[in-house]
Amino acid sequence: MSKITHIKLENFTSFASLNEDFSPGVNVIIGANGTGKTHLLKVLYAACAVTTGEDKEKGFARKLLGVFNPYESRMTRLIRRQQGLPAAHIAVKRDDGSLIKTVIDNQKADVKDVRVIGEGKWQTTGLEAAYIPVKEMLAHAPGFLSTASKREIAFEEVYVDIIKRAFLPKLMGPIDHDRQRLLNALQKAIDGKVVAKGEYFFLKNKQGDLEFTLLAEGMRKLALVWLLIQNGTLLAGSVLFWDEPEANLNPSLMGEVVEVILELQRLGVQVFLSTHNYVLLKEFDLRKKKDDAIRYISMFRDESGAVSANASDDYSGIDPNAIAATFNKLYDQELVRSLGGIKA
Amino acid sequence: MTSIAEDDLQIELPAGARARKFDDQNVHGLSHCMKAVDFIVDLDDRTYYIEFKDPQHPASQPKDREKFIRQFLSGQIDTDLKTKYRDSFLYEWGSARASKPIYYLVLIGADVLSGADLLARTDSLKRQLPVDGPDGKQWKQNFIAGCAVMNLAAWNRSLPSFPASRLSA
Repeated sequence: MSKITHIKLENFTSFASLNEDFSPGVNVIIGANGTGKTHLLKVLYAACAVTTGEDKEKGFARKLLGVFNPYESRMTRLIRRQQGLPAAHIAVKRDDGSLIKTVIDNQKADVKDVRVIGEGKWQTTGLEAAYIPVKEMLAHAPGFLSTASKREIAFEEVYVDIIKRAFLPKLMGPIDHDRQRLLNALQKAIDGKVVAKGEYFFLKNKQGDLEFTLLAEGMRKLALVWLLIQNGTLLAGSVLFWDEPEANLNPSLMGEVVEVILELQRLGVQVFLSTHNYVLLKEFDLRKKKDDAIRYISMFRDESGAVSANASDDYSGIDPNAIAATFNKLYDQELVRSLGGIKA
Repeated sequence: MTSIAEDDLQIELPAGARARKFDDQNVHGLSHCMKAVDFIVDLDDRTYYIEFKDPQHPASQPKDREKFIRQFLSGQIDTDLKTKYRDSFLYEWGSARASKPIYYLVLIGADVLSGADLLARTDSLKRQLPVDGPDGKQWKQNFIAGCAVMNLAAWNRSLPSFPASRLSA
């Protein structure tokens, strides 16, 4: 069991130079569109994924190719676009001291030629991970895996991976108290349990079995988390990547989602999530307990157009806070309208 | 009177503004059955009903500050703000002093409240008073012209000729 502690990115996609420490608990990544939040999640996920299962053999470079899916499978397309096209560097560290590094050279587009350093030691300890993409996938599971394996569709690998993880059978043995409590909380929110019949998922409750295509998309996401906890993907020492948990979710459910994320963190799951949502951010701020470890990472473009990041362990220290800034603007517009008759 | 103050908050008034302390048992006389906003400020062409809330008062206890913020964020404060306005309006209308457009201004002394929090309370207060009459149309009689829930920074941006500050600052 180890946590991801640090990432260094140079000339990779939108990043000129990013050097970031992570919390062993929850890492909340915010920033305007196009600041590389999803890219950051994907790099970290690829680094975790290659420590377990069939991805171990695939290796870091191929996993990066799979999750980013660049045009014509050219790795050089992941280098930050600029004059001269210097090589891209990626380095990810864990708290057991292991380090994985890769260099994408501008002359070597083929993934076979991408150098990876430290992969052997990196892979000696498994780091179970799940990546929940923005688009819900369980409803599209039937036939998806076989189609994807034939390379008939150009989906990023994170979509394939999450369906595979959802299909994992229920973890054997008794369910410990904390995990059961989490499962119960989610069951209450989705009003049922999830069952799989062949490649089809259903929500099972008193009314019977409801196919996923008839479920609200937000509910499907919560159902997926239920599955990942039930089948043991999200246990202590694992890592959860969740791209925009708020997508398709009514704000009234956000509190429960944040509570589940905080509970997972308390159980020892390291979490990385990206968000555009004020309610989600505020729920973290309000529900955080003394021993909860939350780090807010704010990504923004500097004057040169390169992405930079500021980190804060405190909600009020988020700078810049693009989400709050938007509300401030709306608030000021409302004040002008409400008090418009006043000639102050 | 050139300024009005409640707890640690103070608002300076421009020349020509006439202010009355309204939430005062000796003046009001009906506080056993009607709630009251803190101050009523009359200008030539309009009236301001002003309510102060100062959870961040220097002498306040952290426990009480947190309680206020919880009540504010959850919207529990809305009922209190709404009732204060309606009772104050009724009192003034019955006293034949509600002829000019009235703005309801709530000043909250709490730095931690964000634009989103203040926007949510302003929206909610507008719905609950309500600022719009039936079918979303304006009230035919003079009832309320506008309302806003502001912290010190927002107040000073919106009402620069009525500067608000902390007495202790």
